[in-house]
Amino acid sequence: MNTDHTHAKLSPFEVARAMSSSETQARDADYWSAQMAAVARQRDRDCFMRIYDHYAPRVRLYLKGMGSPEAVAEELAQEALLRLWQRASSYDPARSSLSTWLFRIARNLHIDRVRREPRWVPMDDEPGWPDRDDASESSSAESHAEHADLQNRIERLPAVQARLIRMSYFEAKSHQEIADELGMPLGTVKSSLRRAFLRLQLGVRGQA
Amino acid sequence: MNPRHHLDEATVLSFAAGALSAEMAAVAATHMEVCQLCRERLSDAERIGGALLGQQQPAGADTARGARLREAMLDLLDEEPKIEVRQADAPVKPDNAADCLPRPLQPYFGRSWRALRWRWMAPGVHMIRAARGSGDTLILLKIAPGKSMPMHSHQGTELTQILQGAYDDALGHYAPGDVADLDNEIEHQPITAPGVPCVCVAALDAPLRFPGWLARKLQPLVGL
Repeated sequence: MNTDHTHAKLSPFEVARAMSSSETQARDADYWSAQMAAVARQRDRDCFMRIYDHYAPRVRLYLKGMGSPEAVAEELAQEALLRLWQRASSYDPARSSLSTWLFRIARNLHIDRVRREPRWVPMDDEPGWPDRDDASESSSAESHAEHADLQNRIERLPAVQARLIRMSYFEAKSHQEIADELGMPLGTVKSSLRRAFLRLQLGVRGQA
Repeated sequence: MNPRHHLDEATVLSFAAGALSAEMAAVAATHMEVCQLCRERLSDAERIGGALLGQQQPAGADTARGARLREAMLDLLDEEPKIEVRQADAPVKPDNAADCLPRPLQPYFGRSWRALRWRWMAPGVHMIRAARGSGDTLILLKIAPGKSMPMHSHQGTELTQILQGAYDDALGHYAPGDVADLDNEIEHQPITAPGVPCVCVAALDAPLRFPGWLARKLQPLVGL
């Protein structure tokens, strides 16, 4: 999937490390999906609390980065995790990784509650993608290999693109805010984000 | 409806990240409602968000506080899960559907096309400006058919979704469902197509810039 030239600038050690950490993450994704499936089938509290112990600190960290004060981040993270428990029956591991579903829930809670934007029309945070035709080539199933590839690509983004991705996803900065903060032309911010997205999208779509 | 002009991938990414202003997001969501391609890109961008969330590395937690939150969660699991009733939209009567504004625009402009109260801005140009929210501007524009708009450029971003009618500019033909995702490097002069008025919704994060004396006279009138 990764051609040789993409590894050209990395030493064999770095390649091995990047591969192994993204492999671990991908195995994690399968593991967490299986835990969530058990919650869906049997309302398994132990499985749910394993998910909670792993993800609650990550969701709190994410929400703090988005600008929530500590107490609000804690409250919203509790709400996000509780929503997994309450809507477990609608979870389909073939359609969405657990972390993607949780990301959508946490982002929407952030927009609804922290930004207090009364006119925001809520984005859908259901775990499936009703738009996608599952029978088609671009099946929405997140396979192990696709997930590993995406993690791998995130880890190997050029520094500037990685920074812009973080400022977008973890600080909710607009293109103009990023441009102002980094002293970059607006057009450069947009073209860098576009390139980063296309690079990562290849991982999402499982193509090389 | 099969749009030919799409959101910039960078805009889709920021939409997925929750990083667009509410006004920009309203226009982007209006486009998503009619554009399968951009919805698929949105799904991809959300998966990137999921992967990034999974990669977060929390520092050593405040264990006492963490334990208290954990206890609270266990208590919540014992409660009967409240049945989540998803807020269904009020059913739209078929004879009403044609009068219905796109859902993401309804909080700003109401539900009904017929009830819109257009303001005259210039010959052949009517406008409704939504009450100020985040600081960005959201407007509905109705431009008579066959009308040439002043050449203008932008200091920031202009996101425009065509709702009815059509216009042409140097970038191409824009018909219902198409979105123009423009930044400050683009100067354009839209000309509306003959036939029906061109109605579009636009979000702006900075004032428009009109070159030329006529346009400068127009600018205070239009109030942009």
